[in-house]
Formats: sequence, C-alpha cells, structure tokens
Amino acid sequence: MNPSPFSISRRDFLAKTVVGAGAGLILGAPSLLRAANADGSDKIHVALVGMGKQGRVLFEAMSNIPGLHFQAVCDIWDYNLKGGMAKVRALQGHMPKGYEDIDEMLATEKGLDAVIIATPDFWHSPHTVKCLEAGLNVYCEKMMSNTIEGARDMVRATEKSGKLCQIGHQRRSNPRYRYTKEQLINGKKILGQIVNINSQWNRAVASSQDLGFNPKLTIKQEILTKYGFKDMHQFMNWRTYRDLSGGPISDLGAHQIDIFGWFLGVQPKSVFASGGNAYFKDREHFDSVMCIFEYETPQGSVRAFYEVLTTTSYGGGFYESFLGTEGSIKISEIASSSEIYREDSAPSWDGLVEAGYLKRKPAPPKPAPSADTVASYESAAPEGFELPGGFNKPAHQPHLENFFASVRGQAKLNCDARHAFESEAAIYWVNPSARSKERIEFTTEQLSV
Amino acid sequence: MTTETTTPDNNLALIYGSLLLRLWLAMRAIQTGVEKFAGAKASDSAVEIDGAVNEYGLTAASSAKHYNLDNYHGVPEALMTKFKDEPLMLKFALPLYDKMLGPALILLGITILLGIGYRTSLFLLGLLYISLTWGLILIKQDEGVSWLGIHMILVAMALHLAGHNRLSILKKW
Repeated sequence: MNPSPFSISRRDFLAKTVVGAGAGLILGAPSLLRAANADGSDKIHVALVGMGKQGRVLFEAMSNIPGLHFQAVCDIWDYNLKGGMAKVRALQGHMPKGYEDIDEMLATEKGLDAVIIATPDFWHSPHTVKCLEAGLNVYCEKMMSNTIEGARDMVRATEKSGKLCQIGHQRRSNPRYRYTKEQLINGKKILGQIVNINSQWNRAVASSQDLGFNPKLTIKQEILTKYGFKDMHQFMNWRTYRDLSGGPISDLGAHQIDIFGWFLGVQPKSVFASGGNAYFKDREHFDSVMCIFEYETPQGSVRAFYEVLTTTSYGGGFYESFLGTEGSIKISEIASSSEIYREDSAPSWDGLVEAGYLKRKPAPPKPAPSADTVASYESAAPEGFELPGGFNKPAHQPHLENFFASVRGQAKLNCDARHAFESEAAIYWVNPSARSKERIEFTTEQLSV
Repeated sequence: MTTETTTPDNNLALIYGSLLLRLWLAMRAIQTGVEKFAGAKASDSAVEIDGAVNEYGLTAASSAKHYNLDNYHGVPEALMTKFKDEPLMLKFALPLYDKMLGPALILLGITILLGIGYRTSLFLLGLLYISLTWGLILIKQDEGVSWLGIHMILVAMALHLAGHNRLSILKKW
C-alpha cells in the first residue's frame, strides 16, 4: 500500500545523513528530511498508532497540516482501527494500511518517516522505543510512561537513535503560553518575583465516570491478554489502574506541572502530596490528589500548589496561576479562562498596553460597601489585563506543526524526550508521597535519566 | 369644521396601519430566515506588538459575521438536541422541518412584502408560528411561547386589516 516505491532508498539516504551528521543529531538537533519523494511531493509518511479518543484528537489536528501522508493505522480494537482508517480515507482519498500489531506494521511498512503514538500510557515507552529503533521519528502522547524507568528508556532510545522524539505536552507550542513565558514573564518581567503557583484541574463526577462499551464490539480475550489487559473494562478504563497508568495526577496534572518547571526554568526540590478516594472508592488510583512542590529559582523560593479532583468541577476547570510580587497571570488552554492582574503597588503597565504587549480589561463594577466587608488590611483590587491575541487552531496543532517542521529540519522540537523527562520526573513521585504521607526531598538521581 | 369619514376603504390611518404591519411581519420573517444562513468567521489577522507583527502567531481574537449557504441551520443545535429527546416529537419530521424552516420564512416574508396571496401568506405564517410555539411548549421555553404569542396577535391584526391593504401584486387569496 505504500504509494512511494522509492521510499526505501530515501530512508537509506536519511539514515546515511543521520550517521554523517554525527553527535549534533544524537544530541537532539533536527533530523533532516529534505529529500523529496520520487513523485516530488516531499510528503512526510506517517503511521498512526492508537486511534482511540486521543488518537482521533491528534488526527483532527494533523488534518490541517499540509504535506502529510497517512500511510498506516494501528490499533488493537477493530472498532478504532476501522474508524481511524475511514477518517484517513475521508481526508486523503485512499485507504491506509491497517494493523492490529505494531511489530507487523514496522516490519511491513516501508518508507515511514514518523509515527504518532496515542496508546495507553503503559505502552508509550515500548512503542516509542520500537519505533525509534526502526528509524522513525516519534510524536508520543504524554505522560511519557506509567513508570519513571519507562520514561528513562525513551530518552536513552531517542539519543541512541538520533531520531526525533516529541512528547505531547502541547502547551509548550501554544502561542499564548510561549508569548507569556518569553515576552511577559522573562522579557518584560511583569510579575516581578514569582513567589507562588496555584493550579488545578477539577472535573465533575459526571465527567469522570467509567467508560462503557457496546458488548457486540468486545475484543477477543486472547488479544486483550496479549496486550496486557485483564478484560474489556480495563481496556476502556486503563487510566484508573495502577499498573497501566499514573492516575489523575499523571493524566491531567502532567500537562500543568510541566508548565511550572518550564516557566521557572528549574526542577523542584521537593514534593509533599495527599491523596484519597473520596468518591470513586473502588478505583486503584486516588480520585483526589493535592500536592505542593518547592522550587529554588535565582530569584528565590517558589511554592507550587496543585490539585486534581475528579469529583467536582469547582474553581473553573483547569488553569495555572503564576503569582508574583508585581502581578499575576492565570493562564489556561481555554483562552477565556486566562487573566492577568497588576498589583496596585507595581509600576504602571500603560506603556505595555500602548505598545500592544497587553490589552486592558474593562474594570469590574466597584462593589457597594456592606456590613460584612472586612476593611482592615485589605489590598486594593488589582487592575485587570489580558493577552493581546489568541490563535485559531485546534489545541494540539501547533505542537504537531513543530514536530513535523523539526522532521523537515526547519525547526527544533519544543518538547523533546529529555526536556519532557526533566519536567515529568517529579510527577512520578507524587503518588508515592501521597501513599507514604511523607515529603520527598529530591535527589539528583531521582530526577535524572 | 370638516368631518372625517371612517369607512374602511378610505381611512388613511387603517391603510397606514395595514402597511406598517405588513412591512413589519415581512421584515421579521425574511431577516429571521436569512439569519439562519449566518455564521462567524474567526479573524486571522496577526497582532502587532511594538509596531511589528508578533512572531508567535497570536491573532486578533475577534470574529466577523458572514452569510453562506453552508452555514444554514434551521433549528438551533441546542434546541434540536432537546427536541430529539421529546417523546411527542416526530423524529423523522425534525430534519425536514429543519431544512424547510429558513426557506419557508424567507418565502412567506417575500410574498407578504409584495402582496402575493397576502391573506393566505399571513395564514401560513401563522401556522408556522404555531408549529414553533408547539415545539417551545414541549421543551418548556415559556418566554419563547409568549414571544411567539405576540407574533400571532400581529398576524391576526394584519388579517383583520387585510381589507385596507394596498399595493398588492396578486390580490386573490
């Protein structure tokens, strides 16, 4: 089914290019994909591994990116496989090759350049390592793995292969996040000294229920067993099992805790966590987790509080708030949830507004004095601002664009495996801290490959 | 002292009243139908910072309204979802109703505006409003029901004043 009979020689060419490029590529510099196909299309040939909910989200985002050819789809569930293949056909006009087994796909498909991995967390590391060893560039969903050792294997395999491995922390390519970090926090230093971080992802009970399935679509038991699932319920709800995932702190928290270290530029020194099963009492993972990370930055210490609750949507869903001596930024993937405030005592931001760095928000109406107002020592209400713009793309698209631009040698990965590991490493210690009810002071070994 | 005649045929106030009602009902129907082809197009214009286009790809967070056949939505999606859950709703008829609502409003608005079968057009418009009212009663949208009730009063008034109607293309019906 490979439309390009000349792809093998192109891959050989690429392999030789990588070998020739030497250490620079091994250290994560962009892999060069400049040679055009025989048809002159210069398309990147892509395999999709895992076409469940997240796989489809990524595919929808990729369908807006020109220059891609979806060559193969792999999923152990026939329902996802057929559905995914149909989506690909609808997009590019012809059916991709379908596989249940990734090994068979890698052995059969020639001319692949890249693979998109959106399988359950416990398969991320084995699948990524296999694909890297097969000479493919990999985009793998976060969390890197359900174990820290699995994540380490991914970093080692990436650096050994000289191929690219982008981890799906898509906020790292989000224009609003990048602008906030580079221009407002590091450039204009509008927050002054960052002293605290508050962040959450709270989700209502109704949105946290187990996923059901049509019994007619049940996967054969031997296939489930082969791929590490006890039964169909576990296949559908792998996120709630300790051997298969890291639970809510990994599923949801990893996206946001990643931002803490990325914005601050350092790894945390310690974590102290608490967790429990407040509502979903039969689940292996905690349904509610709260934790505090401590960071030492050149400016001073920063405490970051994070909570993930799958039991209530209180507090407006998900966001990350960076609190500083001169201002604060509440940022979220949902643009309307984002807010920026200037402390009353901070220098004026009028110049930033005039130059277009910020937009001023309309002032809220002043509340009428009432008997229950506590007047003493109350700070003046901070002035509200917002980012000067947004972006009109699916949330994952910029991160995927960055990946494919890097495959073409036109960009550098925004979240390669090593940087993702440095960010994720501390997250692997949240559940152990919650279970032992002890604070963990990180050692270098705990947070490094 | 002059005495103003009050016979229906030459009472200028009744003629004006009929004309105004006709214009209002026509405009209401036509524009409501046209709005069903309206959609929002997000702005792609890049934000300028310090006098230069920003390098992050930030775009102005605004959207412009535009009309296109592809935008057509007869029954708003939020209402459609509720209607589908109603046991008394004829499920097979919903897609048909969704397709015909916008064109029907535009067509009836034009016939009322031009005076083509004026009385029958008003009657059909009234039936259309009754159908909308029934749907809103099912999903307990009492404000919408009241709103449509006002429309029905205006349609009835227009029919009552139809005898004073002027400038019609087809007076029959």
